[in-house]
Amino acid sequence: MAANRWLATGNYFTSYQEEQRIFFTHLDRSVFMVFIALLFLWPYFFTLSNKYMLVIDNILIAMVAILGLNLVTGFAGLISIGHAAFVGVGAYTVASFARVLGDSHVVVTHFWPLLILLAGCTGAVFGAIVGLPALRLKHLYLAIATLSFQMIFTWTINFMRFFDQGQTISVGRVFWFFGKVARKQHYLFWYYVALILVIGIGLMIRNLMRTKYGRCLVAVRDNDRAADAMGMHPGLTKVYAFAVGGFIAGVAGALHAYLYRGVGIESFSLHESITYLAMAIVGGLGTLHGAFWGPVAIKMLDLQVEHLAEVAGEMLPANMNLATALRPLTFGLVIVLFLMFEPRGIANWWRIVRSYTKLWPFRY
Amino acid sequence: MRTTVLRSVQIAMTALIVLGLVCHVQAGETYKLALSLAITGPTSDAGNPYAKGVEDYFKYVNEEKILGDDTIDCTIRDDQYKTDVTKRNFEEFLDMDIVFYLNYSTGSTLALKKDFEEEQMPTIPASFHAGNLVDSNYIFLPIASYSAQAIGLAEYVVKNHQGDTPKVAMFIHPSAFGRGPVEDVEKAIAAGLKMEIVEVVEHGKDLDNTAMLKRLMSKGVQYVICHTVQSPVATVLKDSSRLGLTAKSFGEKEKLTFLGAHYTGGNDLIALAGPASENFFWTTSYTLTSEPGPGTDFQLALAKRFGRDDKAANSHNYTNGIMVAQVATEAIRRAKARGAKVTKESLYEELLMMNGDKAFKLDTTVGPVTYSKTDKMGVDTLQLYSVTSGVFRAVDKPFSPEFVGKI
Repeated sequence: MAANRWLATGNYFTSYQEEQRIFFTHLDRSVFMVFIALLFLWPYFFTLSNKYMLVIDNILIAMVAILGLNLVTGFAGLISIGHAAFVGVGAYTVASFARVLGDSHVVVTHFWPLLILLAGCTGAVFGAIVGLPALRLKHLYLAIATLSFQMIFTWTINFMRFFDQGQTISVGRVFWFFGKVARKQHYLFWYYVALILVIGIGLMIRNLMRTKYGRCLVAVRDNDRAADAMGMHPGLTKVYAFAVGGFIAGVAGALHAYLYRGVGIESFSLHESITYLAMAIVGGLGTLHGAFWGPVAIKMLDLQVEHLAEVAGEMLPANMNLATALRPLTFGLVIVLFLMFEPRGIANWWRIVRSYTKLWPFRY
Repeated sequence: MRTTVLRSVQIAMTALIVLGLVCHVQAGETYKLALSLAITGPTSDAGNPYAKGVEDYFKYVNEEKILGDDTIDCTIRDDQYKTDVTKRNFEEFLDMDIVFYLNYSTGSTLALKKDFEEEQMPTIPASFHAGNLVDSNYIFLPIASYSAQAIGLAEYVVKNHQGDTPKVAMFIHPSAFGRGPVEDVEKAIAAGLKMEIVEVVEHGKDLDNTAMLKRLMSKGVQYVICHTVQSPVATVLKDSSRLGLTAKSFGEKEKLTFLGAHYTGGNDLIALAGPASENFFWTTSYTLTSEPGPGTDFQLALAKRFGRDDKAANSHNYTNGIMVAQVATEAIRRAKARGAKVTKESLYEELLMMNGDKAFKLDTTVGPVTYSKTDKMGVDTLQLYSVTSGVFRAVDKPFSPEFVGKI
């Protein structure tokens, strides 16, 4: 153990427990606490318009979803191309209650924390079911199995009258201790809810990775036969990875339903699944930080490309339709460039910055 | 000397202030409106001319001082046909204190319906989906709904068919947008419309419809009512023409007569299907430049004035954009005329009063715009067109579907 717990500049672990600490130094912990405090306090000092609060809320919800995807694809190494469908399962769990009981029923508006939890559980059940093929399949074949879940989900919602054939099912405004969360507080309220969930789930995953269950995921990802030989059950590990990933995705879906006060199928399409996968890749697969960086990068890029497309749409001849192509082109280009030049994602830049500051002012 | 300078400065400043105040009074008020639609992405082929129509008409209103010294400032944002972007745009518009909102797609209109209610925002979408009006007070359709259009086409088939009960297939978009009118046509049949729906075909992205067309023929289908977008209709028309199945005249025996609702037709369909589009029957409430009149003359002059190309100038979606801008302008003009402050509340009231003697008669549609508490469909009349020698020509006079009131 380092002599100075505030300014450790190298790896001085004397036990496995020490290496597994969440924060290596007191400075790390303090910086983290200050950062969290800032995240909670900034809305009191800066007022953002509803438009940008919606963007931030969206990023936080995407972070929750990517935490789930990262667990499945990053830590457990199971490619999932149907993650938006798992998010959709959570959203449609809330929508089902709104449809059966009414969008302003007390269960929907007052017991929303329970519904979010229930949405997570439904996501977990579906995750486990979709994970069952993982007992037999892996790599591309498993990816196809998750893709088929995406297809089945979209088809089911589009054709079932109960789900209004994919049209928006509205969800009422929720209540909190101070009463109904009105339009003025709506985005700020969901900012705090999503933020608490991001922090909570982030810490949960960090802790999970310190347990034998978390290490099982990595072991199975790296070599499932070796993991089997070591006494782990690769099949069950994969199913539980899908279940936990599905739970987190379900929570993200419920948040989405409440934030937008409605659920429509277009938010959970294959395109969204690919976007989630892109967020995970750009952020950095198999790292906790990656789940935070990815959504920020992709959503902000999206916003900027949107502005660019709007300008291009006005300047370029309409029949060329280049503005229409700009978004998918940029999106595809970013993913390709990341895969080529930084396959470890933005999380790796963060790691480099941290290593540099840890050693500073020494070069090694 | 010093006193003189000070006095001069005082006089100059007073003059500036007075001038400023006078200019402010003369500048009039600016009314903020907003439009969110797909200028890029899916359906941008329709959204693009629609946006141009709205933009050009409001420019015209400001330049020609239709509202006196008052002007309209309409912010137009691209939402790429994505509901979450539309929602974000709408939040931005609310921060801008808009008094009237123009929306676009069916999906986003349904998704934002609650917001329109809460904000009491009068809204005209480009979607004619009847479901937009369910549990809604603030959404106003510009023209007859898709259901009314499909029923209108069905009525035309029944009236003009010779022989027994006509056998019809419905060729629809695989979504709520496509399915909605089917149920209403079935209700019209239950209410006494003598027609048989033999099959409802939800199209995919097929590039060849031979099997489907042969199947319809084997079932004795004579008419195909389409409710989707242009490209799948163009594919079916080309396949039918290639197989020699297309009727040369309406209702020709042992052949197929194709008919379609608003978004199936227009010049884009002719461009896509070519000669195969001949004898395609299409209904909408808008006037077309292929049938010149005062409305189309104005449309072409407007497009010329603002440097639009021929494609946009002749697009029925350009007409569509002009028309919704005309309705919004008229609501503002009427609110001003009765001395009311132009707010979303007063504009909502004006729209509700747009009926009877106060119906808004305009040349870009085939009938007047009428709204009331119980009627939120603007133009109730439809015009049937058919492709003759490569252009859409009017068939008979404008009509109102009878069974719409019976279902």
